[in-house]
Amino acid sequence: MSDTPIISGHNLNLWYNDTHALQSISIAIREKRVTALIGPSGCGKSTLLRCFNRLNDLIDHVKITGEITFGDMNIHAPGTDVVHLRKRIGMVFQKPNPFPKSIYDNIAYGPRVHGTKEKKELDRIVEKSLRDAALWEEVRDRLADSALGLSGGQQQRLCIARTLAVGPEVILMDEPCSALDPIATAKIENLIEILKKNYTVIIVTHNMQQAARVSDYTGFMYLGKLVEFGETRQIFEHPSETLTENYITGRFG
Amino acid sequence: MTEKFHAELNSLKDETIGMAQCAREMLDDSVKALVAQDCVLAQSVVAKKKRIRDQTINLEERAYMLIALNQPMAKDMRVIACILKMITAAERIGRYGKDIANMIERLKDEPDFAEPLPVLHMAELVTAMIDDAITAFKSENLDPIREFSPRDDTVDTLWHSIFRETLTFMMENPTTITRSTYFIMVARYLERSGDHACKMAENIYYMITGERMEIK
Repeated sequence: MSDTPIISGHNLNLWYNDTHALQSISIAIREKRVTALIGPSGCGKSTLLRCFNRLNDLIDHVKITGEITFGDMNIHAPGTDVVHLRKRIGMVFQKPNPFPKSIYDNIAYGPRVHGTKEKKELDRIVEKSLRDAALWEEVRDRLADSALGLSGGQQQRLCIARTLAVGPEVILMDEPCSALDPIATAKIENLIEILKKNYTVIIVTHNMQQAARVSDYTGFMYLGKLVEFGETRQIFEHPSETLTENYITGRFG
Repeated sequence: MTEKFHAELNSLKDETIGMAQCAREMLDDSVKALVAQDCVLAQSVVAKKKRIRDQTINLEERAYMLIALNQPMAKDMRVIACILKMITAAERIGRYGKDIANMIERLKDEPDFAEPLPVLHMAELVTAMIDDAITAFKSENLDPIREFSPRDDTVDTLWHSIFRETLTFMMENPTTITRSTYFIMVARYLERSGDHACKMAENIYYMITGERMEIK
């Protein structure tokens, strides 16, 4: 289970028009582990993250070559149900983006779209998702209130709960703490530790200490290339590549 | 900020070298003072004890500050970890020098029983190991510390030899027991200083390679 790759990228290349943003990337994401992608701004880490649930499809003039497999499935194969793929590989963004709806409706939105109508079942999903996102105790008495009234940290955990509500296997997190204060950040980091018992998490972060704290594996990217990938402890204690060493010791970037 | 961090780290490293050299001198001078029964040299060794104590605290606090403010990683983190271990080992070596120097005044009126040459030889071997550890730390080159395991074995063998030989002196002539006991302690302090040099070497190896190595 733990060391089995759940997502594998093989010789992945991506162009935005003429810009070669991802160059020959091969990577294996382990199941029920936290993988962090680090690197200086513009190195392609968010682009790579968005490849995993085909979010780059929404951008014009993007060309992708190579292969990404999720379990046994080639996610670029003709006939792939992208909506179903994004249900199995959920995403949390940099800035919390709750819908302008109640807390309850934010969580119930996904299950409803996927066909769950029964109130009792929706109640169960909402409670479980909020509990799994460590938010239930803080909002249980005000589920009908607007989600926009929550603090930034609570909104981000709500967005995580909203992702969990549709039963994903993988959660992609793109700088999930960069808009949060240190206390809210600590709560999200604790949550990631709990989430990895049941989910595979891939997190993009510019905060190297955060990557070192929360992840089991780390990939260092530079100018569209995956320079080094390995166990987090090895990457931060004695990286193999000089470029990685220079980046994590603050000599550039 | 990173330039300031690396400037402070380099300065910390240079001062650690200075402190380790001071501790090595204390050990070397204490044995020279013992052999020559030179109380003045012995006093100068004792006087350095406060200096290395103050240096240890100063370097330790600055290393902690660097960790707290910069969360260093990879080689930078290993250099700081090595500095913290180096100063601890160096302070112990300096204190052994001070302990040997303190014996000299007390030994003045005790009857002599043997040439202290084996101890002098042991001190030469140990100070050479400390010198090589400092060189490896300074140059970040593993060559000077590669043969530490057999060198430490030689020091251990000398310690056992001195211990057994001195016991026979004590049995033959009980009036030498005080001096002999001090003599055994000197040999023991030197053997321990050799162990501290080995600890330095192990940490320098980790600093340079990121891998652990044990000197047995």
